[in-house]
Amino acid sequence: MRYSATLLEHFLNPRNAGLMREPDGVGAEEYEGCGDLARFFLRVRDGRVSEVRFQTYGCGPTIAAASAASERVTGRRVEALLELGPQEIEEAVDGLPVDRRHAADVVAGALRAAALDALRRAREGVA
Amino acid sequence: MSRRVYLDHNASTPVHPEVLAEMLPYFSEAFGNPSSVHGFGRDARAGLDTARERVARFLKVAPEEIVFTSGGTESDNFGVKGLAFARGRGHLITSKIEHHAVLRTCEWLESQGFTVTYVGVDELGMVDPDEVRRAIRPDTIGISIMHANSEVGTIQPVAAIGAIAREHGVPLHVDAVQTFGKIDLDVAGAHIDALSFSGHKIYGPKGVAGLWIRRGTKLVSVQHGGEHERRRRAGTENVPGIVGLGKAVEVRARDMREEARLVTALRDRLWQGIQASVPEARLNGHPTQRLPGTASISYRGVESESVVLGLDLKGIGVSAGSACTSGSVEPSYVLRAMGLPLDWAMGAVRHSLGRSTTAADIDYVIESVEPIVRKLRAALPVGAA
Repeated sequence: MRYSATLLEHFLNPRNAGLMREPDGVGAEEYEGCGDLARFFLRVRDGRVSEVRFQTYGCGPTIAAASAASERVTGRRVEALLELGPQEIEEAVDGLPVDRRHAADVVAGALRAAALDALRRAREGVA
Repeated sequence: MSRRVYLDHNASTPVHPEVLAEMLPYFSEAFGNPSSVHGFGRDARAGLDTARERVARFLKVAPEEIVFTSGGTESDNFGVKGLAFARGRGHLITSKIEHHAVLRTCEWLESQGFTVTYVGVDELGMVDPDEVRRAIRPDTIGISIMHANSEVGTIQPVAAIGAIAREHGVPLHVDAVQTFGKIDLDVAGAHIDALSFSGHKIYGPKGVAGLWIRRGTKLVSVQHGGEHERRRRAGTENVPGIVGLGKAVEVRARDMREEARLVTALRDRLWQGIQASVPEARLNGHPTQRLPGTASISYRGVESESVVLGLDLKGIGVSAGSACTSGSVEPSYVLRAMGLPLDWAMGAVRHSLGRSTTAADIDYVIESVEPIVRKLRAALPVGAA
């Protein structure tokens, strides 16, 4: 099997999949040419991520990476998410094959965008 | 996970026990070079001759018209380049849904100064013979049309295309890799001039295939060297493989009609079961003019590779209609040529059944698919599909 046990487990039982009502931050990233897409919704309490939901369109690794990332970033400071790189996402699923590394890029990019949106809303006082 | 269901017979098949038994002595006992004059060589030569006769009998052609090759890809290269270079310049006609072995060969021939017309297909994946007729020009030197497409299984009207080709004096190559040994084809009556066939799609070994070349057809060799295969394809013959191909053909001649009947019923059971349990699913390809064991099913909005992965984890082997590689996704060029919208084309899964497939296998696949597609759709962004 070319995918790790962790990746397959997240693929089969994705955590935090679905929409979020009235999120504090929303961000999406699409991988050009491939069409893989991830969208993250963040709930923020006292400057930290209290809840994460995601939606994806893509191959199995993208779904798994989104699920693993959603668990990993919960509780983290929103500002810290701006530094999130694909390496950490890849670690969260115990590695990705070279031809599937874009799954980590898409997920990291979407989470950074969601964090940026949450910070902007907080600054502008948007609910 | 203990249950395993293989529904990827269009990719490859297990070697039939009767085929394997026939091959084994040619690895260690009759191991000689069939070109050698001594007894060891003659033993190997006898195996080759028998295989050639079996293939010829199946196709109802002369044994000396059969050339063995290393695979369907080589046969297609030989058939298409052979026709092209026999004339040296000119125009070729093929379809947009050919195997890459034909399509990329044609594209390469364009880079060598040939011109190529790629005819389209209708929404069922069928080539219109009249479109082939309209594509014929005074400088047309060859036509290459597949007998059936591996992905959706639509069977092409090759006899009608053959009649048109003959009427215009243009030689016709047919890639029959997916139909040879599965359904009947009257190569002589269909006015075919060259026909590619392969071993590992019909329970024979991999790495062996052939090209039937009608006597009198001008076709130049693409591989040069020794005197093998009546100087049409140089290189020591893969004797055990060819023996296996010959035996596989003989077994198919005996079994294929009954198997086609059974496999067609299972194929239809699969689609009916999925249609009843999964919303927004569609069957791709022709409803009836289709390979007995092939069912390409699209799930709108989901990405087929995820379905393939989900089924793989249930022990089921199917293949994705779209291939995601880093940097580009290819929503099957076949489905795109058929005009399938992207959100359907991306979710195409090919199931290809075979002689060992059972009704219990099919029911297991049906019950496995529904939760996978439901889960994938649950994580789907609104508007992405």
